[in-house]
Amino acid sequence: MNKKKEMEFKPKNPTFSLQRTLAIAFKTINQFRRDRRTLVLLTIVPVITMLVFGLALSGEVNNVPIIIENNDVLYSGINLGSNITTVLEGDNRVTITYDTYVSGIDLVEKGKSYASILIPANFSQSIAHMLAFGNVTPSFYVYIDATSPTVRASVLGAVREAMEESIGDKGINLVQTLAHDGAEFTGLDVGIPAIIAFELIFLLVIVGVITVTREKIQGTQDRLFATPLKSSERLLGYVIGLLLIATIMVAIILIFGIFVFGAKVRGNAFLLIFAALLFGLAHVFMSVFLANFAQNELQAIQFAPLTAIPSMALGGLLIPVVGLPVWLQPVSYIVPLTYGINLFEGIMLKGWGFKELWVDFLVVGGMCLIFFVLAVISVRNRMRD
Amino acid sequence: MTVESEYVIETQDLVKIYKTGKVKAVNGLNLKIKKGEIYALIGANGSGKTTSLNMITGALFPTSGLIKVLGQEIPKNRRLITNYIGVAPQDYSIYYDLNLEENVRFFARLYGMKKAEFVPKYNELMQILRLEEKRKALAKNLSGGMKRRASIACALIHSPKIVFFDEATVGVDPVLRTFFWEYFRSLKKNGVTLVLTSHVMDEAEKADRIGLMRAGKLIAEGTPDQLKKEHNSSTIEEIFIKLSEGVIVDE
Ligand SMILES: Nc1ncnc2c1ncn2[C@@H]1O[C@H](COP(=O)(O)OP(=O)(O)OP(=O)(O)O)[C@@H](O)[C@H]1O
Ligand SMILES: [Mg+2]
Repeated sequence: MNKKKEMEFKPKNPTFSLQRTLAIAFKTINQFRRDRRTLVLLTIVPVITMLVFGLALSGEVNNVPIIIENNDVLYSGINLGSNITTVLEGDNRVTITYDTYVSGIDLVEKGKSYASILIPANFSQSIAHMLAFGNVTPSFYVYIDATSPTVRASVLGAVREAMEESIGDKGINLVQTLAHDGAEFTGLDVGIPAIIAFELIFLLVIVGVITVTREKIQGTQDRLFATPLKSSERLLGYVIGLLLIATIMVAIILIFGIFVFGAKVRGNAFLLIFAALLFGLAHVFMSVFLANFAQNELQAIQFAPLTAIPSMALGGLLIPVVGLPVWLQPVSYIVPLTYGINLFEGIMLKGWGFKELWVDFLVVGGMCLIFFVLAVISVRNRMRD
Repeated sequence: MTVESEYVIETQDLVKIYKTGKVKAVNGLNLKIKKGEIYALIGANGSGKTTSLNMITGALFPTSGLIKVLGQEIPKNRRLITNYIGVAPQDYSIYYDLNLEENVRFFARLYGMKKAEFVPKYNELMQILRLEEKRKALAKNLSGGMKRRASIACALIHSPKIVFFDEATVGVDPVLRTFFWEYFRSLKKNGVTLVLTSHVMDEAEKADRIGLMRAGKLIAEGTPDQLKKEHNSSTIEEIFIKLSEGVIVDE
């Protein structure tokens, strides 16, 4: 009789199973398919935010870095060029570095600066001639990043005021060249990349933390311990399910943004999707980790504002990072949203590729890795004590 | 040593002290359950039945003592036996936001069942558990007794060798309960071991053996007839009341 039992029982050595992983993924998606309210939240919130932010994203910011090359020379005792730069130096909307116009343009294209200004050699002389004879129109050259309306408005506002103060409103021809192949965006265009980044954080944290927390409160987590499911399969299952939800979310935002609100994507669409998935992945891992600290669904939802508010304030959603007080700017480097916005704005508005954005990709990739480790530790099949 | 043992479940001086409570929820439990046995664990609320089952199934870490299931040491080797045990916990443990079929299929997938294996077994269970009409109903919209039956379906879908039912028939009406017991017996005939807890004494009486727990210990054990003879009672209920009398285990 003992012999018989021995033959019946063959211990199964656990190996990774795709079937079990997908079981978790499908389950996660099915649960959200049923959860109408969360579904509505996931669809409607991005659209509303797009509208609101599109309207709200105008106004001015401070401390925008610009480059000035002043070639003006004294003409009958005055140098209007240096008068203008003196006024600009006192204007807290801009932070000035003196360099050549050409290297300024290069910095603007690289996103290190927002405008390069050239005051020509005969500027004071042309002004004098204009005042005396009216036969010349003095020119003043600005090479400007017009992908952010708030930044552009601040720079142009400061420059115009400086001219008025030093010369008076005298019909100077302000020649603007737009950076990034002439990309020029309205508040809404600019809002969409930021909104993608923000919604990915905000909604994925809600959805992710709820998914994992639910398992705890329904008592099903303990039940899973009695099944062959491995912790790696469980984590991967969550990730697949949540990333699918994230993909649908990004698609909704993009479709509405592009077809309803007329947003533009200048860069590579595949790179954009890759960036969105990488950024989403980091936050899926993050939410699995955060779920450790939630005992119920209400607490799970509380994590969303907890992560969203600092992100909004410091990550460049409301105010571009360059517009923050200088002492606060380093803090923005630890806010994930900063890198999300950099990536999505870079690809969508500036047409940048991996070459220009590798630092941001590296940071987001690093985030993925760190939160992956934390997530793995969190879902380790830890039995109750 | 125990692979050749005739017992499929063995515990030795099993103790559990919850971190969050000072109580010894289980205090030196020694259980031996044979293959094909129907074993009923009874005892007052808080006497440690659920805690014991949770440790044996590998959901809860024991404070001290030994557990062997199918000859494998638990919790160390619990992964090796997961395919052979089925659990219907006291708190249902089904996904409320999935429908009945999705719940059962989810567990079937975790046990690596193919569609061809799943479909006949699923149909059979739905028929036995009288849930055929409710296949597409959301679990949260099932009645209490139906939730319980759904939880049983999830525990039996992979044809386990040992089944743990924690208050498996709470909320199940008497007609169905009688019917279920017929099914339990047919499982037993196929060599399945059933461990269940219950507060319904004439249900416990249908088990092969009964273990009565008090304050985390077995204080009486035997077949229903043995127990009745030993304690000179005509019903198990009488014995239960006599032995658990005045005991308040909860703080
Ligand atoms: N998670 C927990 N943390 C702390 N103490 C617990 C926990 N779960 C149970 N206990 C305590 O352990 C003791 C045994 O509880 P257990 O649930 O095992 O009893 P039971 O016999 O299943 O009771 P019932 O018949 O009510 O289901 C009780 O005193 C209970 O308060
Ligand atoms: Mg119990």
